[in-house]
Amino acid sequence: MNDQKKARTDNQPLLEMDAVSKSFGGVHAVRGVSFWLEQGTITGLIGPNGAGKTTLFNLITGVFRANSGRMIYDGKTTHDARINELVRRGISRTFQNVELFESMTVLENILVGQYTQTRCGIWGSIFRFPWMVREEHLARQNAMALLEFVGLEAYAEQKSGDLPFGWQRLLELARALAARPKLLLLDEPAAGLNIVETAQLGELIKKIREQNVTILLVEHDMSLTMTVSDKIIVLDQGVKIAEGLPREVQANEAVIKAYLGTTG
Amino acid sequence: MNKPYWYRIAYVAVAAIVILTGILVSNAYYLQLLTFIGINTLLALGLNMLMGYAGQISLGHAAFYGIGAYTTAILTVHYAISPWLALPAAILIAMAIAYIVGVPTLKLSGYYLGMGTLGFGMIIHILFREWSSITGGASGFIGIPPLEFGPVSFASGRNYFYLVWGFVLLSLIICRRIIDSRVGRGLRSIHDGEKTARAVGVDTSQLKLQVFVLSAAFSALAGFLYAHLVYFISPGTFDFITSIRIVTMVVIGGMASIWGALLGASLLTLLPEWLHSFSEFEMVVYGLILMSVMIFLPQGLTRGLMDIYERSKKSQNR
Ligand SMILES: Nc1ncnc2c1ncn2[C@@H]1O[C@H](COP(=O)(O)OP(=O)(O)OP(=O)(O)O)[C@@H](O)[C@H]1O
Ligand SMILES: [Mg+2]
Repeated sequence: MNDQKKARTDNQPLLEMDAVSKSFGGVHAVRGVSFWLEQGTITGLIGPNGAGKTTLFNLITGVFRANSGRMIYDGKTTHDARINELVRRGISRTFQNVELFESMTVLENILVGQYTQTRCGIWGSIFRFPWMVREEHLARQNAMALLEFVGLEAYAEQKSGDLPFGWQRLLELARALAARPKLLLLDEPAAGLNIVETAQLGELIKKIREQNVTILLVEHDMSLTMTVSDKIIVLDQGVKIAEGLPREVQANEAVIKAYLGTTG
Repeated sequence: MNKPYWYRIAYVAVAAIVILTGILVSNAYYLQLLTFIGINTLLALGLNMLMGYAGQISLGHAAFYGIGAYTTAILTVHYAISPWLALPAAILIAMAIAYIVGVPTLKLSGYYLGMGTLGFGMIIHILFREWSSITGGASGFIGIPPLEFGPVSFASGRNYFYLVWGFVLLSLIICRRIIDSRVGRGLRSIHDGEKTARAVGVDTSQLKLQVFVLSAAFSALAGFLYAHLVYFISPGTFDFITSIRIVTMVVIGGMASIWGALLGASLLTLLPEWLHSFSEFEMVVYGLILMSVMIFLPQGLTRGLMDIYERSKKSQNR
């Protein structure tokens, strides 16, 4: 893992977006957006409500197909790839509105997160072949380790829907990590968290980067975004209006305008 | 706390009850009733995997029940093939048809999936009725041979009862193992949120198809056992009403519960027998009972009774 950390200096982009556009009927949610994400960095993606941030996530993860433009992930195009194929290739995400499997336990949520990392099929589950038993055992160990990472190990057997909201966000983060992502997309992970929880989240995000995971972070909480991000991209009405270091972007006039609502 | 341990105890308990029942009950009518409960449990168990766990509805499962029954009837009578070879054939044919039907229909969801499977069930039912050269048509198919295995004949009510319940126990174990595995967790994640399941990497369309095919296999097994129990089958047994009855067993017993399938099948098999005395009001009382279960125990019998039990335990502790 330490070698990987050093290797991240000779950067080739993990994700490259090239003039990507997506519209819904007459709404141009994303218009000709280009950027790239360097391996092992945290990039903040900000912009007013309706700017197209979540839509961009849905394009990267294969939920939506772009109307035009190219996306290259890990040296290969993502064109026409199915969602689960992209998850297997290492793109994982959390949701703006927490979306857990509420009737399942905390541990089971993480195990579902490992779906692409495990193989047991129907026959394997019926006959319990030794390698399937071993796989299940390992998956549970991994899941417990992830729960420890976010501090929820004591609640492994609780129904996930019964957790307090802040913990649900943490669980969702752990579930996203269960897929062993190279690229992690976080959609407003601090929304609804209090100050203490937000600070803890910031620490977790930094720790995740140390494992050479590339992170794209959508977040309205500027104190969090500006402190953890290596780079900021600003979106407004589907268009990228600025990109740069946090302090550069904060001083950018177009950005200030967009946030004050004087555009158009 | 240790789940697998409790499961094992539950299996042993069911096996013990089955064996004891077989020894104690000698009335042929009761034995046959219990055998029917077993057959219906297999039907409900298969559909419960699809409805309760994967959250997909099928209003055409009687078709697979019928395919199992007609396949073994045709193979054993017209082609004089041993029933024990007809059994895997019946299951495989039902699975193949489920696969072919499942690929386009499972792309549908909600009401549309219901409509799609309903239409499929009707087509198969019409086929049983109209393809008389092979199926015997509306008047039915007679002369299905009894089962025997070496020196053991299953022509007696008691042996057939044991045979059916042996299959039920095996099926319970199979379902339990699937549900507690990666596959089962994938299925339950679809039930909780299909879009989210897909987003975290679950291959939802493949899983739905697999469980649809699996439930068809259970139904075909039930159809096989039915055919060799009564020796005579007719299209009426595998019509739309039967599909609805299987759905009702799952809902009444309790979705996403293996024991629910057992309970639902028992209730729906026994009710009509108890209600004979109401003669023309039979269906009215039947409907009323089902309605009250749904009103007072909307989660089905299993969950509902468990809730009542837990509540009474809590109030005792106070
Ligand atoms: N599935 C959809 N169908 C139609 N329109 C959509 C869809 N998803 C997003 N939009 C529209 O695209 C635009 C961008 O929405 P998006 O959710 O990407 O914004 P956002 O930047 O995530 O905003 P927020 O900060 O409120 O989450 C909005 O005008 C929205 O109404
Ligand atoms: Mg959004």
